[in-house]
Amino acid sequence: MKSKIGIIIRREFNERVKKKSFIITTIITPLFMIALMFAPVLISTYSGGDTKRIAVVDESGYIAEELINNGELVFEETALPLELARKELSDYFAILYIGEDIEVNPNSIQIYNNDASSISVEQGIVMQISSVVQNKKLQEQNIENLPQILEETAVHINPQSFKNTAGKVDAEENSSIASTVLSYILGFILYMFLLIYGVMVMQSVIEEKNSRVLEVIVSSVSPFQLMMGKILGVASVAILQIIIWALLISGLVYFVLPEVLPDQILEAMAMVKQGVPPTEIPGGTELGMLQALLVLSDIGYIGGIIVTLLIFFFGGFLLYAALFAAVGSSVDNPQDAQQLQTPIMMPIIVSIMVMLSVINDPTSDVAFWFSMIPFTSPIVMMARIPYGIPTWEIVVSAVVLYATFLVVVYGASKIYRVGILMHGKKPSLKELWKWMRYK
Amino acid sequence: MDLIRIENVTKSYAKHTALDDVSIAIPEGSIYGLLGPNGAGKTTLLRIINRIIAPDKGKVLFRGKEITAEDVYRIGYMPEERGLYKKMKVGEQAIFFAQLKGMSRKDATEKLKGWFAKFGIEEWWNRKVVDLSKGMAQKVQFITTVLHEPQLLIFDEPFSGFDPINANLLKEEILSLRDKGATIIFSTHNMSSVEEVCDHITLIDKSRNILSGNVNEIRHRHGANIFEIDYRGEEQKIRSALDGKCEIMDSNSSPIGLNTLKIHIAADDEVRGIITAANESVEIRSFREMIPTMNDIFIRAVNGNL
Repeated sequence: MKSKIGIIIRREFNERVKKKSFIITTIITPLFMIALMFAPVLISTYSGGDTKRIAVVDESGYIAEELINNGELVFEETALPLELARKELSDYFAILYIGEDIEVNPNSIQIYNNDASSISVEQGIVMQISSVVQNKKLQEQNIENLPQILEETAVHINPQSFKNTAGKVDAEENSSIASTVLSYILGFILYMFLLIYGVMVMQSVIEEKNSRVLEVIVSSVSPFQLMMGKILGVASVAILQIIIWALLISGLVYFVLPEVLPDQILEAMAMVKQGVPPTEIPGGTELGMLQALLVLSDIGYIGGIIVTLLIFFFGGFLLYAALFAAVGSSVDNPQDAQQLQTPIMMPIIVSIMVMLSVINDPTSDVAFWFSMIPFTSPIVMMARIPYGIPTWEIVVSAVVLYATFLVVVYGASKIYRVGILMHGKKPSLKELWKWMRYK
Repeated sequence: MDLIRIENVTKSYAKHTALDDVSIAIPEGSIYGLLGPNGAGKTTLLRIINRIIAPDKGKVLFRGKEITAEDVYRIGYMPEERGLYKKMKVGEQAIFFAQLKGMSRKDATEKLKGWFAKFGIEEWWNRKVVDLSKGMAQKVQFITTVLHEPQLLIFDEPFSGFDPINANLLKEEILSLRDKGATIIFSTHNMSSVEEVCDHITLIDKSRNILSGNVNEIRHRHGANIFEIDYRGEEQKIRSALDGKCEIMDSNSSPIGLNTLKIHIAADDEVRGIITAANESVEIRSFREMIPTMNDIFIRAVNGNL
């Protein structure tokens, strides 16, 4: 009995893992994900955008010389009057006109774009002019030692967030940026896997039904064994993929990241690991980034997350795959499946919507209940876990999920048993209900 | 000894009854034909024997005991809608099916090589099914059905879709499997194949068993005392000689001078008198009883004229 499920699982597993598409996606995807994570850094480092030359017609007499050229904007004052400048200087990105009455009239700034206008250019110009005008006004107040006063009163806020664990003296560090990113990633991974692998089960059932191979198989194994074998076989492929990804990503984090990151950050990370509070790290290391990196390189934490990910993926997958298998068994082709699979897709889509609100408030009632309801719990719970939630919640949610799976798989197998031998008209939901009650 | 006994099996679907109180005994070592028009319930009965579906009432006995999940190892089933995994390689696929029937991988591989050699298809081992022609795929399907040397073979419409050459090959294989001791059930509405291969039949119509028994017995039992006389001579003479002794149903004459008369005799003991009377009037070349074909019996039974 058991070995028959084993034979089915082995076939499903071997047929899928040997496919070229599996090998390619398994290896390419993590590289792609890493590339995506580092893309913003790389882009800002290496590209920086084109230099934009701005011709300045300055009637105020003092602003143009105070404007600072940066990587993106280069200001060049011109003696031409505005009308002429607009006609002659068409090879500039834009012509900036600063009126004489700038200090009293906020509308006396005009930007004539030769190219498509750009919000970032506009904001850059406005910020610079504002601060020049503001400085001029401050100076006119005739305050002594103004530069020192300004420097001493400058405020720079850098929020520190900690997890408040009762009974623990040293508060465990908790980066909300890292949690948010991780929460997104985990929620989406689960969403992707449930959908992709769930639909894979459905398509494979339809294919077996279409190729009429099903009746041959069910003369040797019970429909329930066949369905479970297929679900477990596909699940093992998915789990293999998750494990390979986890290994590849951690390999990249441990061996490649140290080569790529600046020494300063590496030193800071080492100091934190030796017990120096992150707030006291010298040098201008960005704290959010430091904390995110620390979270990523905490093996125990990441390992724990991967284990919970596997538990919730497995439970959620079993649940949804059983439903997808039932739908697949009751239709003859993927087109007919569209309508019947809608009720199954709904909770998955709801989960993703709830997940977005969970990221704002992981302890809200909505977050709590949706992480307990078995159909939404896999995705919503995974999105909550990076924020650190009580273990009992995770355990209860997992138990409810697996218990529901048993009920659902029982009902689904009843539909499956009848459906695989039915050909022709697409059944209605009412008929599916009838099938469940056949002897 | 009966290998399979089906006792009072009833099976209903939502809107119709597929089998209504059907009982059949299938003797061990026989080739058993299950006949009936489309939709009569043949496939449902075969699925019940295979434990693919459960009967609402009644039971199936295998060697006198109610059939169990283990017994399916002793059954080979080829459904009417035949199918293989299209993208799987032929050899791997055949091994997969053999394993499901309880064979070890090694054992299955050895036996498969033998069958592939017998059918001359060794070079298909690593080909995908999708690359095979329909006839080729059917050979593979047949091999996977019989590979584990089951005691009971069930073929649902085995000859449908086979070309004449492969159908003949299949027929010979079925007979040789019977000679090796297997019991074979097949459903069909191809009557000539029934007369050629079947020992016993059951005729199912409108969900009920309306006729069961040994093929020869049935044919003779339903003989209608119709005889044909081939003769040389004048039709008028034989007609007047037989006048009053029997009913003349039909007469034919052929250009080469051989005439045929079809007659119906009321009782067996009048046969000798009729032969004598006819012999005196014309030159008899042959005198034979018209035993109905299974086709006639099938049509008469289904139309309720049996």
